[in-house]
Amino acid sequence: MSWEIIGMSAVCALGDTVAGIHGALCSGRSGLAPLSAFDTSRYRAEAAYEVPDRARPDVEEPLRATRWLVRVVREALADAGLPEPDPGLPVLVGTTHREMRTAELWWRHEGSLSPADLHFTSALRSAFGLYDVRTVASACAASLYGLGMATDLIALGRADTVVVAGTDSITESSFGGFDRIQFPPPGGIRAFDRSRHGMIMGEGAVAVVVRRAGTRPGRTHGRVRGVSMNCDAAHPTAPDSAGIVRAIQEAHERAAVVPEDIDLVIAHGSGTAQSDLAEAVALGEVFKTVEPGPLVTAIKGGTGHISGGAGLLNLVVALEAIRSRTLPAVGGLTDPIEQAAEVRIVTGRPATGAFATAQVHAVGMGGINAVAIVEGSTP
Amino acid sequence: MNTPVTARTAITGVGWAVAGPDFDPATALAGRGMRHKDRSSRFAVRVAERALDDAGLLGAPELDGAAVVVSSNFASLQTVCDCVTAIAAGGSTDISPMRVPQLSSAFAAAWVALDHGMRGPNLTLCDGASGGLDAVASARDLVLAGRATVALVIGVEPDAPSVARLHGESGGTRWIDGAVGLVVEPVRRAESRSARIRAEIAGYGRARDERSAVRAADATAVRRRLGDEVTARFGRCSGALGVVQCALAVEHMDDEAVLAVAGAGTGEGDGTSVSALVLTPPRRRDT
Repeated sequence: MSWEIIGMSAVCALGDTVAGIHGALCSGRSGLAPLSAFDTSRYRAEAAYEVPDRARPDVEEPLRATRWLVRVVREALADAGLPEPDPGLPVLVGTTHREMRTAELWWRHEGSLSPADLHFTSALRSAFGLYDVRTVASACAASLYGLGMATDLIALGRADTVVVAGTDSITESSFGGFDRIQFPPPGGIRAFDRSRHGMIMGEGAVAVVVRRAGTRPGRTHGRVRGVSMNCDAAHPTAPDSAGIVRAIQEAHERAAVVPEDIDLVIAHGSGTAQSDLAEAVALGEVFKTVEPGPLVTAIKGGTGHISGGAGLLNLVVALEAIRSRTLPAVGGLTDPIEQAAEVRIVTGRPATGAFATAQVHAVGMGGINAVAIVEGSTP
Repeated sequence: MNTPVTARTAITGVGWAVAGPDFDPATALAGRGMRHKDRSSRFAVRVAERALDDAGLLGAPELDGAAVVVSSNFASLQTVCDCVTAIAAGGSTDISPMRVPQLSSAFAAAWVALDHGMRGPNLTLCDGASGGLDAVASARDLVLAGRATVALVIGVEPDAPSVARLHGESGGTRWIDGAVGLVVEPVRRAESRSARIRAEIAGYGRARDERSAVRAADATAVRRRLGDEVTARFGRCSGALGVVQCALAVEHMDDEAVLAVAGAGTGEGDGTSVSALVLTPPRRRDT
């Protein structure tokens, strides 16, 4: 069984369309910029990958994650030719921080908060009449978990069309928390580089519309072949390569593909010492018998780590890479770690070619992993 | 085109970690292994032991492929607020590094998985008042889709100053401080391991109002509906509500189906959606 992707949309520091974000990544741009709304004197890090859309850059606004979610869902539905969806259409929203930024402002008596702000049903019902909304908070694997659940809903006959999204805005608590544990602060995300020393938060939202394959003719952006969701159950915070290997292998089984079928991989690549190492070891293990093996890239050096939506952002960039036959290089990577030597990491300039099948990763804190196998559409 | 699902799913275990005669949070949430966990994670690991034990699954090989599904709306709220307070008072260097992982709402589910080697899907839902029933339905779908051998569902809401303030500002006077757990698995698996089937999950639906949700759950003929007894007993249960409802229904199951409705009629709905779920008594085994 497979699932068609009939609509998509994204917004992050690098742009507000999928093609725009992909183009910016291919030209080597980074969305990293000096912190705008936070009091910089309270952090050691001075930059983040923010969406530059505040009315006044230095004045915080509540409910930004909700605002982006509504926007990308609207655009993805329009892209899918469903501007007025059936109100029962399920929506799965992956998020790490929900509206905790709004909660922070409320806690400091700088704004209001209602319990309904902490999930996304209220906003999507107001905007589109949609009520079957699940707020999936499985750390930074959340949006690919949403995708896996969407494929299950369709496979189990509970729905024919499902919207999957991810959204997060940078919270002061998490920005500060990572600032506390990462010193000196990383100057940028340099996935798989020997000199990498950490993750930098980004923000934004992504949405796709998935439909049971073969229901209707028409244009598609690609197909979901299979999604795995698992948990390392090995360590409370550090990722385990064995868990990532299992997630990749299960995704291959579900997609009925073998490692030779994978043309490109967009890794999680968060730029932390442990996560990149575990992922590189896992990729080496899975593809060790494949010659030459897939091209491997990561996009967080350009987009930052947008948390809940990160896996889905990898997915839409992968589809755009297949469509445009251009796969961006890993931003900031000049000196790959030894464990990545066995895989073909894209460095320097984008790689070009006729790609068909992509593998995308999301590796969340707590050992929560999800891997999706997608097929692209070429014009 | 649709392939209707005919496999049946059962609830085979129930666990409680709510203050009462057989659970004292002051002692149960302290001690070995608790130091780096937030309150919701502490409740979750305690209730996980109890629910898995009740299902006869502690240490069982099935757990390797098991899923964890947590429903909570306030799990990470106090940690977020404490970090913001620390930053405002000084800066990021005043945050305890041990609190950083607790900023994630998924932390409790990850701890439970780690404690019991549960390597299947690790899902956390933050769906408002309907989240507990949505979690039970998600657990059912994870096992039906072949993603998990069994699924442990946990509804957990910790009390904390921020939680109290949010409830107070929205008209709440009492709320739960604890966790409730359920074990969900295919009837066939439960039978093959001779587990005690406490109830079967019959129908689930979500809609914009109660009547439509009940219809979507195929429950218009179900006479016994869980009323306000859950909220009357525990106060607001928020993300734990549906799990508490199911746990009570299972424990008082006789020969009649029970309808649980969350998001309406309990004083907890926020007007955005209503979920309904039907539990039926275990069927007698075919002989």
